[in-house]
Amino acid sequence: MIEKALDSYNAGEEKEPVATEVVLPMLGITVEKGKIVEWVKKEGDPVEKGEIIFIVEVEKATTEVESPASGILAKILVPEGVEVPVLTVVGIITEPGEKFSEDAVPQAQSPSSVDSVTMVTSQENASMAADGIDIIKAVPAARRMAREHDIHLRDISGTGPEGLIFARDVETMIARKARPSEVRASTLARRLAEKERVPLDEVTGSGVRDRIMRQDVQAFLKEPETTEMPLGTVIPMSTVRRVIARRMSESAFTAPHIYFFTDACLDPLLDFRSVVLPDLEKRFDIRVSINDFVIKAVALNIMDFPILNAQVNGDEIHIMPEVNVGLAVAMPEGLIVPAIRNADRSGLINIARQRIDLVQRARQGKLTLEEMERGTFTVSSLAQYDITHFTAILNPPQSGILSIGKTDEKLVMEKGQVTVKRVAQIGLSVDHRIIDGAMAADFLQNLKWKLERPSSTFLTV
Amino acid sequence: MYDLAIIGGGPGGYVAAIRGAQHGLKVLLVEKDALGGTCLNRGCIPTKCFIYDTRLLETAKTSQLLTGIEALSVDLNKMVARKRRTVKTLVSGIEAIMKSHKIDVARGLGELASPGRIRVHPDDGPAKMYEARHVILATGSRPLMLPFIKVDGHLIQTTDEALDSEHFPDKIVIIGGGVIGIEMASIYLNLGSDVTIIELLPDILSTEDKEIRRSMQSLLGKRGARVHLKAKAREARIKGKDVEVSFEDHAGKMVALRANRLLVATGRAPVLDGIQADKLSLEMDGQFVKVNSRLETSLPGVYAIGDLVGGQMLAHKASAEAEVVVANILGGNREVKPNLVPRCIWGITEIGTIGLTEEEAKARGRSIRVGRFPFTNSGSAQAMGNNNGFVKIIGDAETGEIMGVHILGEHATDLIGEAVTAMTMEAAVEDLAETIKPHPTLSETMREAAMDWNGLAIHSLKK
Repeated sequence: MIEKALDSYNAGEEKEPVATEVVLPMLGITVEKGKIVEWVKKEGDPVEKGEIIFIVEVEKATTEVESPASGILAKILVPEGVEVPVLTVVGIITEPGEKFSEDAVPQAQSPSSVDSVTMVTSQENASMAADGIDIIKAVPAARRMAREHDIHLRDISGTGPEGLIFARDVETMIARKARPSEVRASTLARRLAEKERVPLDEVTGSGVRDRIMRQDVQAFLKEPETTEMPLGTVIPMSTVRRVIARRMSESAFTAPHIYFFTDACLDPLLDFRSVVLPDLEKRFDIRVSINDFVIKAVALNIMDFPILNAQVNGDEIHIMPEVNVGLAVAMPEGLIVPAIRNADRSGLINIARQRIDLVQRARQGKLTLEEMERGTFTVSSLAQYDITHFTAILNPPQSGILSIGKTDEKLVMEKGQVTVKRVAQIGLSVDHRIIDGAMAADFLQNLKWKLERPSSTFLTV
Repeated sequence: MYDLAIIGGGPGGYVAAIRGAQHGLKVLLVEKDALGGTCLNRGCIPTKCFIYDTRLLETAKTSQLLTGIEALSVDLNKMVARKRRTVKTLVSGIEAIMKSHKIDVARGLGELASPGRIRVHPDDGPAKMYEARHVILATGSRPLMLPFIKVDGHLIQTTDEALDSEHFPDKIVIIGGGVIGIEMASIYLNLGSDVTIIELLPDILSTEDKEIRRSMQSLLGKRGARVHLKAKAREARIKGKDVEVSFEDHAGKMVALRANRLLVATGRAPVLDGIQADKLSLEMDGQFVKVNSRLETSLPGVYAIGDLVGGQMLAHKASAEAEVVVANILGGNREVKPNLVPRCIWGITEIGTIGLTEEEAKARGRSIRVGRFPFTNSGSAQAMGNNNGFVKIIGDAETGEIMGVHILGEHATDLIGEAVTAMTMEAAVEDLAETIKPHPTLSETMREAAMDWNGLAIHSLKK
């Protein structure tokens, strides 16, 4: 049935292979939707293949999308500011000189290929898409049948992949409409419902073929009226929050985390920084932060322990070729983690420059997706808070994250003498699937060593 | 390893076996005797054979139309032979159904060794251990013995012997005025025996509606049966070819009766052979196995149904529990509602009832209305020539809920089926009144009683 319906559609599609569809591209494995913030080309503009045609915003980052073909941007189907699923057809390019007709527009606005299944939506839904509502996917036979029977596709729940509506789904709806929504209930159930003013269509029947029995009405009456309880403030999740929510639970449930903590004495590093800072500021006009030193030390440490730069991919462990250290940046919308590229090969000044630029653009919402997705290890610092230590959730698909708490003055015994030292607790979370405890402990211990001996560590810089 | 093992192949056990097999379970049924249990071999079916055969004689003998009736008698050998044939046919029918479902039947006493393990002790040969994920105990019941009366099987019998006996007594004393006592009394009365019933309680059929009890007692009286209520049996002594029964009557006076036969029909006790509750730490409820509404015992994966768990000791209750328990084993959450289990009695006339009696309904503090219709007003009953009977419907005055239906008279056991359906589907009394009934049939009486509930019976005098 399914194949048949799709076959008949595919056969129909071959009729007029005229225009080229411009689709919202896949922008990363975790990206589900995107918003076109700017059409660089306007309707009627000539475009060259490879030319920037529109700019899309995804997860607070913007990406430029190139034209898939040369010709005329004949039609813009998704206007600026509307969020649509990836692979949605957003525009049509016709060949130069070819007269554009509305008929040439595939009656379509929806994912043009998902799992190699081709789907089309009608123009009726185009307006819905413009309102930012999810597009309804249905095979043409289903559309035709729905039209003939005056049924709205939005009232039908599709049984196909991703809710694709088949003809049989429309048939089900037609059959249901033929039997007007007569509630089937026993006499005693009806009488009780009438007396207690229970809307029977809200009662779930437990009898034969879901017939509503008296006990169902009684159960309905007993139900605490949870639906009428005030919900408090309802906050719809923003795109960023949705992505964070999904990625965090994905990380927590797929990667078994183990955590390690150690104290690092930061006196030498703080002293080292105060010594080099004035000179660096003068020469490069840049303030190198403690974080920059930590990022550099982490990158150098990763060179000694490449497994901490790995990602799980099916049954394989991929050691990533670049060491890009992500920096967790708290934003009002939620946490984002732009990554400093090639932190292993970059000097402190370069790291500091990258950091300042990334943080600034993060605050302006001008990060690119690439900057946010390239990280291979993350550093998350709460040093400015009164927090001694914390456990961090891995930023998937990464396998390690470093957490840094505040620096405190502590009494330490050294050579029989009590001395005061500035100490920070550093924590490491790793994906235990690929990193064993001993390896993680070794990594953290070596990092501590590096941080406590800055002149050795940063000498080569 | 079986999915389901059942100890006891009566109307509880074999129904559970079939249901389980229908749902793809690998089923073992353990039976120490014949499939069909008490119902088929020593209860429901044998009594009904005798009831219908002896009723034929009784009807003929009391006929105003037939001539030559004085010479009529029943060939008792043939009557017992017909019963045996009927039972055999039905038992082999069940065996065939078992086979068709590929249900393994193990012959022998089934012992619950532990949850999931059953040891079967055949009459010949060594015991064998079976394993099953789920076990249903359905061992049923056997006649309850009185400690001071020794059943010899000839002069002093229980139904087990009486229903396979080719000798019928001229004079019989029956201890027990419950369903079994009344049905057996009816068989002997039909055969022309002199019948005396000794009942401990203040009434026969004590759980039934008062009008039903009164009518049955009056009919028994008309047929010459003597019924001693609040009477305590004390002793039974065999005296030659007779038995002497001593009892204390309602006034506390000792009475001695001499008869050719004594039938002990004082109820039934659960069969716990092979179920050592103490050893297994199986929780009991008095003499019965304790179960929750899902029919689960206190042991994991062990369920119990039928007479073994008490309640109404009826074949169809056991069967209903069998279906429910298999549904629960398969992940459902069902239960048998006792209120929807009908009760049938084949006395000198039939009784079919379901739900609450009028007294029980009142005791619940519900505002009730009663609809009645006598068989005397039924064209069908009149044409049949037997107008002893009535339909009584008890309904909630406010909601119309059918709380109980009580029918006495010809075909009452069949007629009650309509009330069972109506109550199960939660029809109101008015629903029964809205039907169109074929004429002339006894089924019209149900509709008339339902209309009478609203004071609108057609074939009744204006009230």
